[in-house]
Amino acid sequence: MVSRLGILTYVALAVRNLVRNRRRTIITLLTMMFGIATLTLLSALNDGWLSQMKTNFILSFTGHLQIHAKGFESSQNLRDNIADPEAISRFMDTYPEIIGWTQRIRTSGLASVSGSSSGVQIMATDPEQETWVTSMDQSVTSGVWLRPGMNKDLLLGKTVAQNLGAGLSDRVILMTQRPSGEMVSEVFYLRGIIETGAPQIDRTLALISLDGAQQWLQMEQAVTDIVIRADHHDQTDTLYRLFVQQLSEQVYEIMPWQELDPMVRQWLEFSDAYGLIILFVVILLVLTEILNTMLISLHERQKELGVMIAIGTQPHRIFLMLLFEAVLLIFVGAVLGYLSASLIVMLLAEGGIDLTGYANAFEFFYMDPVIHPQLTRDSAIKILLATLVAALLSGLYPAWKATRLSVSQALRIQ
Amino acid sequence: MSEANQSTIIQTRDLHKCYWVGTMPYPALHGIDLQIRSGEFAVLAGRSGSGKSTLLNIIGGLESADRGQAEVLGEDILKMGNSQRSKFRLTNIGFIFQAYNLIRVLSARENVAYVCQLQGKSKQQSLEIANHWLHEVEIGHLGYRRPDQLSGGQQQRVAVARALATEPKIILADEPTANLDSTTGRHLIELMQRLNQTLETTFLISSHDPDVKQAASRLIKLSDGQIVDSWDEIPQPPRSLEATCPLRNRPFTERLRHLFTPRRKARQQNRQRTSRHS
Ligand SMILES: Nc1ncnc2c1ncn2[C@@H]1O[C@H](COP(=O)(O)OP(=O)(O)O)[C@@H](O)[C@H]1O
Ligand SMILES: [Mg+2]
Repeated sequence: MVSRLGILTYVALAVRNLVRNRRRTIITLLTMMFGIATLTLLSALNDGWLSQMKTNFILSFTGHLQIHAKGFESSQNLRDNIADPEAISRFMDTYPEIIGWTQRIRTSGLASVSGSSSGVQIMATDPEQETWVTSMDQSVTSGVWLRPGMNKDLLLGKTVAQNLGAGLSDRVILMTQRPSGEMVSEVFYLRGIIETGAPQIDRTLALISLDGAQQWLQMEQAVTDIVIRADHHDQTDTLYRLFVQQLSEQVYEIMPWQELDPMVRQWLEFSDAYGLIILFVVILLVLTEILNTMLISLHERQKELGVMIAIGTQPHRIFLMLLFEAVLLIFVGAVLGYLSASLIVMLLAEGGIDLTGYANAFEFFYMDPVIHPQLTRDSAIKILLATLVAALLSGLYPAWKATRLSVSQALRIQ
Repeated sequence: MSEANQSTIIQTRDLHKCYWVGTMPYPALHGIDLQIRSGEFAVLAGRSGSGKSTLLNIIGGLESADRGQAEVLGEDILKMGNSQRSKFRLTNIGFIFQAYNLIRVLSARENVAYVCQLQGKSKQQSLEIANHWLHEVEIGHLGYRRPDQLSGGQQQRVAVARALATEPKIILADEPTANLDSTTGRHLIELMQRLNQTLETTFLISSHDPDVKQAASRLIKLSDGQIVDSWDEIPQPPRSLEATCPLRNRPFTERLRHLFTPRRKARQQNRQRTSRHS
């Protein structure tokens, strides 16, 4: 005998049971809504924050992808250079994901101004190409950005300039090693101060033009970095794979932005872990809330469930009915929570949340003082799956308990 | 089947049932031999605690027994598995309870239709059947009300309609009039009697309501878990507690607990228990 009492009947029963206990249902729904909305908001803040941080990090210095001669990132030695950058730069126009690229020479050195000196990262770049990759040109707070031909001029990070006591037009002596190992020094004129907001850059940057550096260091056409900017962070992986296919592993190293700054990578991992912890805690809250509601409801309805079984309902149908109830509660609560959080995110996304008052702490991590929360598909899927799992977990136990109900005991309840 | 057995619809033999509270046994039925013939309007009478509900529950397949057999429609209901029992109840047995026990979120006709749907009938068909039976129990006009919008007597009529809607051979009613005032109760008894005669459905009703006993085609007297011929008869105490309450029927973990209960204490408890029976 196949019963036609289909799923719909039990959904209807579940709905009516929820409606019957209106107050409890509403309280549970509100708790659920609050939980899911908090979760969604926190994850939107986290994602918005992360995305801004990635953009800032990438735009301030590293680009999405860098190509070096093999071993350069660890040796930081000018002998590990790309002698013929043409061999690589010809790929640049063929990939539409690339919206800008530049060539640089990077090395460490010493900067001195009338007696005081400070260790610096000398960075030489093509001033025009650089503007396609990073926003460094917009970080010039006084003076000017480099122009082609300014081969004896230099820009300093704000903190370096302060430490050296250097002002615009001052003579700054840079000292470093040529690839051959020979120590050389040269006079440059300070034309601008750069403030990126990232302390490790502002504290160490000494920026000169690529042409000037190649002449001074006798490197001809050679460079140390080819820096690429993609249209979006998501394309980093695609580009990475493309270059890995095209370029010999023996000669080049190809590094996505995450690998270029170990601190940033650690911070990202931490932030993922942090997201998971939030998810876990909220799900735990949701789970206890639903479990509690369902167990109370099961207790109250013992007799009715006993009667349903007595008059011929198979226990597995009782199981389904209670499971539906839990899933329905969680589903409606989750949808309401998600929608209300989306609304808040939409309202906040435009103006952002202004944390200027606390900005000092945030700058350190390439943070904007204004956070724009952001709902991503990834986080939506994560939240959805997690609530679904919670719904099933919190529904399964009471439902299973109901099937173990002793009918005769239940019927004796007054 | 022999000629005499042909009309036997319920038959119990040497039925024993024991409840346990912790390690303490409470014998509820000992040695029930009962035969109900098709079409009877039998009433199971006895004081509260005499075992009426227990006997009905065992016959209805809601509870297990410790010893003996309970044949319903020729099948031993105690030997069936859970889902087999559930189907057997659905096809052959209708239940009426003291506290009506309707599903609170369903209207009267939905309550009745529910069991038809469980039987596999379509919703439409089930609702039609429900309407028919609600008319039959004289509350056809109240089909759309929910249980909390009906009086006790009306709710019990819905319960009767629900019990009849699957057209079972047997209706088991556990103190159906206990929650009703005497006038409403008498109306309900008349209704059940009429249905018993027109439908030839067998009724087994437990009750200590004098009106119900008066309506009975047969009165079965239950006293301390045994059937007696007259209320003056003093029931024999059980031959031994071990016969009614065999330890081997207990779950393993409970049997372990018995091992650690001091013998003397257990014997003392048993003596108290037995003396209460005599
Ligand atoms: N779940 C139970 N646990 C322990 N004892 C029970 C339980 N159910 C019934 N009993 C005992 O079994 C005996 C018979 O109970 P019952 O069948 O309910 O009697 P009646 O229906 O005639 O009032 C009583 O002594 C009662 O206390
Ligand atoms: Mg009883």
